[in-house]
Amino acid sequence: MIDFTLIFRILVFPGFTFILLLTLFCDWVERKIEARIQNRVGPLVAGPAGILQPLADLIKLLTKEDIEPRDAKKTVFKIAPILAFAFMVFALCFVPIDGASVLSTTGFNGDLIVILTFSTIASFLLFLSGWASCNPYGTISSARVLTQFLGYDIPLFLFALTPAFIAGTLSIFKIASIQTIPFIILAPWAFVLFIITMQAELEKDPFDVPDAESELVGGLETEFTGAKLAFLHLTRDVQIVFGSALVVELFLGGPYGPVFFGLPAFWYTLWFVLKLLAVVVLTEYITTLFARLRIDQVLSANWKIVLPASILSLMLTVALVTWVYPLVVL
Amino acid sequence: MTNTTTWARVKSPWVLHFNSGACNGCDIEIVALLTPKYDVERFGVKLEPSPRHADVLLVTGCVTQQCAERLKRIYDQMPQPKFVVAIGACACSGGVFDGNYNVVGGVDKVIPVTAYIPGCPPRPEAILDGVVKLLNALNPPKQKKQKQLEPPKETKPVVSEPEVIVPSQEAKPVIEETKTNVKQ
Ligand code: SF4
Repeated sequence: MIDFTLIFRILVFPGFTFILLLTLFCDWVERKIEARIQNRVGPLVAGPAGILQPLADLIKLLTKEDIEPRDAKKTVFKIAPILAFAFMVFALCFVPIDGASVLSTTGFNGDLIVILTFSTIASFLLFLSGWASCNPYGTISSARVLTQFLGYDIPLFLFALTPAFIAGTLSIFKIASIQTIPFIILAPWAFVLFIITMQAELEKDPFDVPDAESELVGGLETEFTGAKLAFLHLTRDVQIVFGSALVVELFLGGPYGPVFFGLPAFWYTLWFVLKLLAVVVLTEYITTLFARLRIDQVLSANWKIVLPASILSLMLTVALVTWVYPLVVL
Repeated sequence: MTNTTTWARVKSPWVLHFNSGACNGCDIEIVALLTPKYDVERFGVKLEPSPRHADVLLVTGCVTQQCAERLKRIYDQMPQPKFVVAIGACACSGGVFDGNYNVVGGVDKVIPVTAYIPGCPPRPEAILDGVVKLLNALNPPKQKKQKQLEPPKETKPVVSEPEVIVPSQEAKPVIEETKTNVKQ
């Protein structure tokens, strides 16, 4: 017996198609916000208010000629971008979107660690793709990606543990559904630091040293053309959606909100998308307002400030969860 | 399917800027395109850093002996389909530098050129108009007119008059849009 509901959930909603459309939409929102802050109008002619611009970019890239440099390590060069994209979408499949996650309705204990690991693997594949292109700029950029994401992954994990400690579980579904008071109120310091760490993890300004145009031409994408470039861009965009979704699930109460009438799934999706957009707008503000740091500044900020802060935050959380929260809220 | 592809190509031209020996006048006008006043991102134009990502190569300046080889190499690095726009009197024909001992001539001496935008330097509107007209010429119903793309060989570009010798009839709304924008 084939389970058509599951197939529909994986392929259409809230699975692949929905995630893809959401990604393109978020990309458009980002470009518009960036343009408005810079006193421009941004994409305008592709579709109403340029909303189809990311789609046009995607289709164009998919139909362009695919060039492989002679020196590139062919196998890795070919599969790394698409594999990175696949891992990111797979990670998003564990995130509750319409009240339940795509693959299984409630997830399992520990899937928070699993999806964080998937995103690490995707970053590693991005590094590999740049490395395999055998372009000097790509190689330097890849080395920077590696240095940066290995460093910032540790604090990101530790900050993600703060909500897990408060909720007393490692299942992302339970963390999201337990929040009658959103954890942004219970642990505001962790929220702020998580956003900053995520900014570094996603290689956005002020931490975008791996694709600093003024130094590295196109960063690790320099040698990529056509479909491979399209998948690299998509991976970047899905990573942004993934990071924002993580913030929504861990700190903003997940997709859960008031249900007024009709299907709860509809309202949950609506709340999820609205909260996601709020986070995307916030991170895009940070991206546009700040200038790029140097690579040594990024790294010293990582090991001297963010990592100790994450350990302190964890200790503080444990203390609060043990002695304070039981008296006040839970 | 082809319609969708064409639509996507017209709506998302990513450009690469190459200076093959310009006096920097044309280059400044291209950079002006990115400023809030002209904002080419409206049309989906993005200035790309790598030739591998670009669809349209914007060449400014006459081609010097040294640059000719590099220009050819950059052109070869771009993936198909690709277009070349020669910007400025120098890029069209060699301009005031034509006949110099170190100058090869216009861009079309080295690589095939799809559109010429004369002017010294051409106004940003003229550049934008040229790029958009070039891409609109891709649309299937207008394909018959593509023959007219190549300007007559002997045309001396009019210096200082921003006039675009490209598929002309279409893209009227674009011109108007650009002009209204400038007045603001
Ligand atoms: S056309 Fe004029 S402005 Fe442009 S490079 Fe030549 S001399 Fe300079």
